[in-house]
Amino acid sequence: MNERDGAGGNGSPPLAELDQITKRFPGILANDEVSLELRPGEVHALIGENGAGKSTLMRVLYGIYPADGGTIRVRGDEVKIASPRDAIALGIGMVHQHFVLVDPFTVTENIILGEEGGPVLDIDEAGKKVAELADQYGFRVNPSARVEDLSVGEEQRVEILKALYRGVEILILDEPTAVLTPAETKDLFGNLRKLREAGRTIVFISHKLDEVLEIADRITVLRRGRVVGETRPAETSKAKLAEMMVGRPVLFRLEKPQVKIGEPVLRVQDLSGEGKLNGVSLQVRAGEILGVAGVEGNGQRELAEALIGLRKLEGGTIELEGENLAGRTVEEIRNIGVGYIPEDRHGQGLVLDMTLWENSVLGRQDDPEFSTRFGVLLIRKIKELAARLVKLFDVRTRSIDVNASTLSGGNQQKLILARELETDPKLLIAAQPTRGLDVGAIEFVWTQILEQKAAGRAVLLISAELDEIYALSDRIVTLYEGTITGEFSPDAAPEQVGLGMLGRVKKEVA
Amino acid sequence: MSGGVAVTDPPVTARASWFEPLVGQLLALLASLAIAVVFGSALIVAYGESPIEVYSSILDASLGKADGIGYVLAIATPLIFSALAVAVCFKAGMFNIGVEGQYLVAMVTAAWAEIELGFLPGPILVPTVLIAAMLGGMVWAAIPAILKVKTGAHEVVTTIMLNGIAVSLLAWAINFPLKFTDAPPGQNVDLRTDPFPEQGLVGDLGKMFGITPGAHLSWLLFLAIGAAGIVWFLIRRTRLGYDARAVGTSPGSAKAGGVSIGATQLKLFLISGALAGLVGMQQILADRGHLPQNYIVALGFTGIAVAFLGQNNAIGIVFAAILWGILSRGEVALQIQSEVPREFIIILQGILILSVVITYQIAKRRLAARQLQRAGEAGALEDSAGPGDAGSPPGSEPEPEGSKAFQPADEREG
Amino acid sequence: MPFTDIAVAVQISFTYFTIIYLTGLGGLFSERSGIVNIGLEGLMIIGTVTGAFGARFFTDTMELGQPWGPVVGLLFGALCGALFAGVHALATVSFRVDHIVSGVVINLVAVGLARFLSSAFFDGQSTQSDPGGPHLARLDIPGLASLPSGLGRAFQGLSPVVLIAALMVIPVWFALNRLRWGLRLRSCGENPEATRSLGVSVTLYRYQGVMLSGAFAGMSGAFLAAEHIGNWREGQTLGLGFISLAALIISNWSPIRLMFFAWLFGFAFGIPLRPGLTDIWAIRDVPEQFIRMIPYVVTIVAIAGFVGRVRPPAAAGRAYEGGGGP
Repeated sequence: MNERDGAGGNGSPPLAELDQITKRFPGILANDEVSLELRPGEVHALIGENGAGKSTLMRVLYGIYPADGGTIRVRGDEVKIASPRDAIALGIGMVHQHFVLVDPFTVTENIILGEEGGPVLDIDEAGKKVAELADQYGFRVNPSARVEDLSVGEEQRVEILKALYRGVEILILDEPTAVLTPAETKDLFGNLRKLREAGRTIVFISHKLDEVLEIADRITVLRRGRVVGETRPAETSKAKLAEMMVGRPVLFRLEKPQVKIGEPVLRVQDLSGEGKLNGVSLQVRAGEILGVAGVEGNGQRELAEALIGLRKLEGGTIELEGENLAGRTVEEIRNIGVGYIPEDRHGQGLVLDMTLWENSVLGRQDDPEFSTRFGVLLIRKIKELAARLVKLFDVRTRSIDVNASTLSGGNQQKLILARELETDPKLLIAAQPTRGLDVGAIEFVWTQILEQKAAGRAVLLISAELDEIYALSDRIVTLYEGTITGEFSPDAAPEQVGLGMLGRVKKEVA
Repeated sequence: MSGGVAVTDPPVTARASWFEPLVGQLLALLASLAIAVVFGSALIVAYGESPIEVYSSILDASLGKADGIGYVLAIATPLIFSALAVAVCFKAGMFNIGVEGQYLVAMVTAAWAEIELGFLPGPILVPTVLIAAMLGGMVWAAIPAILKVKTGAHEVVTTIMLNGIAVSLLAWAINFPLKFTDAPPGQNVDLRTDPFPEQGLVGDLGKMFGITPGAHLSWLLFLAIGAAGIVWFLIRRTRLGYDARAVGTSPGSAKAGGVSIGATQLKLFLISGALAGLVGMQQILADRGHLPQNYIVALGFTGIAVAFLGQNNAIGIVFAAILWGILSRGEVALQIQSEVPREFIIILQGILILSVVITYQIAKRRLAARQLQRAGEAGALEDSAGPGDAGSPPGSEPEPEGSKAFQPADEREG
Repeated sequence: MPFTDIAVAVQISFTYFTIIYLTGLGGLFSERSGIVNIGLEGLMIIGTVTGAFGARFFTDTMELGQPWGPVVGLLFGALCGALFAGVHALATVSFRVDHIVSGVVINLVAVGLARFLSSAFFDGQSTQSDPGGPHLARLDIPGLASLPSGLGRAFQGLSPVVLIAALMVIPVWFALNRLRWGLRLRSCGENPEATRSLGVSVTLYRYQGVMLSGAFAGMSGAFLAAEHIGNWREGQTLGLGFISLAALIISNWSPIRLMFFAWLFGFAFGIPLRPGLTDIWAIRDVPEQFIRMIPYVVTIVAIAGFVGRVRPPAAAGRAYEGGGGP
């Protein structure tokens, strides 16, 4: 057993070793001979951009995927982990980025599922055990609450307790802070430190470099399926980490075009509906990008959908250059001049089972340019459109006749962008437009959005990533529990904006 | 602008795009035929017969003589309409299990038209009756469609209930308004409607080919094939077909693209009902000349089987219907020449449907994996996130890992 | 006796309650494990033909006599239903075929298979068997059977299976809510990814759920053919499988609520079968064909009215893409 790098570390033998792990999927080599070592009593960060393979690697360790090559050793012995059950038996637990909780069940039922302790359930007894465990590590939960009533932070606690209930020593957390408010993140870090003191090992998968530098003992960087470096917070910096992740220096500046900002294009007043929107008021002017910042779940999705006509409203007005949008159909709203980049590109953006050229015309199939009066599609024209879009936006594909499902996430997003921008909409709604994309694709999307601004169009940017908000916005507003809680200029400090995201600020114009 | 890998050549409209899925489907079909034949052989052997003899006697009865072919095509004709009706709805993501009831109602409306409008000359009467049939089917299909769009009631349950109601409706029609009461004295006549006027019947096609009139092969065959062509065109080449396919596979994206889901579903259900309406025309216009109490049932359900067999594809359905006809005709051969009971054919058909449905699923997944493989090799997947939750392959469920690996223009984060 | 007609209708409704409730319970197990099962009708059909055969075979040929003959016959119907349901499980769980497609196929194949089996079981008769098959002795419910004014008729001459069906709610509820097995089954239907992530085999529980649905539906069919009617006849299931499905949906997949709706739909069935009843209710001029439509109309109205207010198991109908074996 090699003991690496004892300087500053605890020098104990590795608890688990991943040795030359390789994992393939159709079309992708996700992990390429990756080696990693985990020690007791540490927080080990695993970082890399999208597609780097960090989640995949941990899923191999957790038994969700079988490795195509390499070995895993736990406490020195080589093991075969064929399923999560095996992993748990070896003391390895994982909390996924998307929680796997059974909503109608209680906290206790969720925690004991699979580990019930006998054919007949004794919920009271189990509830007591859960409460004890939670106390031990300082988690605040109500064992008999239904999961569907819990907040995101509380759900995460349940997920962690699930693992601890099974006595895991290695706890893998996949992007744990992606859905937490800054305060909840603080709580989480407190819990993680307690766990570390108790001798547990935490694997912290994240892309948020600040947090990684704050909490980790050791950091392993993956890029395109390979390990490109291992370091400690004391020996590195955010810039160096970023460079390792992407492979080139990433001091990344986007020039915001200087554009005279004109009259308001979009006016929203007191928008409310379905419990999620509680009186949203905002304006976007021509040549302006308005960034709506906020932790997911505060009404972002509902706001975007309301503006494009996918949602019924209970109150409020929406006006686009004087024309009322509220109550109109999606088709009408699009024709008035609204483009929509949905946050769910599969559920609202593309028809995956249709070809690229068919997807190119979605929303415009009624145009006289693309179909005759009697409803016959003008396929040649549509294919010309598709070819043009694909070329212009560099959508990488063998042909336009393949299904949209074969495109990568980035290329799918580019196709959607191309399609929506083709109509030169007066207002572009972009909801989480770069989620799941790598640096190249992100640069591209941001550039296109800035070009809309340069062309004097209005852009409503809804994003949970503050980096993105800052990079693109001319003005920032924060959305919390369905209302706008603050307005800031891009010069404002992130802490201020963070407060707005938590609802602590009331309409202060920066 | 992209700053990434060099752009690949301008996209080519590859021949392979529709070719491959077609090959895949054909292979799946052949595989299921093979499976059915193998299981069937086992059963035949259990009855002490030779599989080769049995299968060849089936084929002989169906294809050996012109008469056989006539029977096969006559059986296929209503099945084509029925399967098309099912497939049209399926494309839009709905299950029309109500073809059964829709054609019963259509037979009632057609019979009514024949009797009440029987004074019209032939060339006008026949199309009128066919339209009456289609309207009958459409009305009966409109009920579950509207219920689905307005209340969300799942069409599977409502259409089947309506099938039951249709049976009673037809029984009532034969017993009361359309009852045949003019039997010559002394003659005992089964419960049925008046006989239809001569000019209202559809002529026999078989005599042109030397096929016995007993097969009742009629011009409706051409109408069925024509309908298949129209359905193909509708689904693949029109806006409505486009909207239907979008709604059927990704309703959320269709809606966000401005397609009205309810309107599309309704339109397609009505078209389905119209097609269903024609299912019963073969028996009452070409075969019997009236609507009898013992009309042929189960054409709606068989149509579902044929639709699956034909992969819900208009062209495939025509061939599937003919295949079904071949098997059904084979029952006769078994009855005459073999120890194996005629119900063997039903088992064969059952195994065939089962294996088609399963092999099709397998083929679809293999194809998707191959498409991904090729896309990956072309370097088009380089920026994919790894697989999303619990094992879905890249390209189908992206894991939203934010990746903001760089700094904004000004150093802000503390 | 003034209330005899109503009482008889109620008595008939108990029989149809039994059929609908048992089939519905079967559907319950399948759907709560996450597999939509619209093949209940087909499973019942298999139950009818095998149950009719079983009753005769075990009572007479195997000389088990009363009551064991009919009992084993019923169990035989349940067993055959479970085996046939295995096909649906195989298609949906292992091959991930669309649940509704598979259910439709089950219904189609069942009809043909029933003919085939009938031909084999009943001497070449492919659409029905000889009437007058053996069945369990009927009984009267003590106390209730002696109600005055003809009301007592409702509780006379009932098959013991009716009572068993009614009592089923207890073990079913207990199994679903108080046993580990039930917790795991339900989690497969609500969130199979969560279930899998904890090392519980979704495949195993879904197979069990589906095969249980076959067992219950098969027993229901066996009851219909052997106990109630006395022989098998093609088409005797009359859409009851689908009505059971509708009842299940409206009951929001609760075994307790299902009892009420199964009885309600059972009563709708009873009305057309008792002409005297329609006399009393002054709808005597309506042709009997329209009366026969009543249960179907009731079902449609119920489904259309209730559908927005029920909450199916969250993952029912969605193919679970999880990797890894049991």
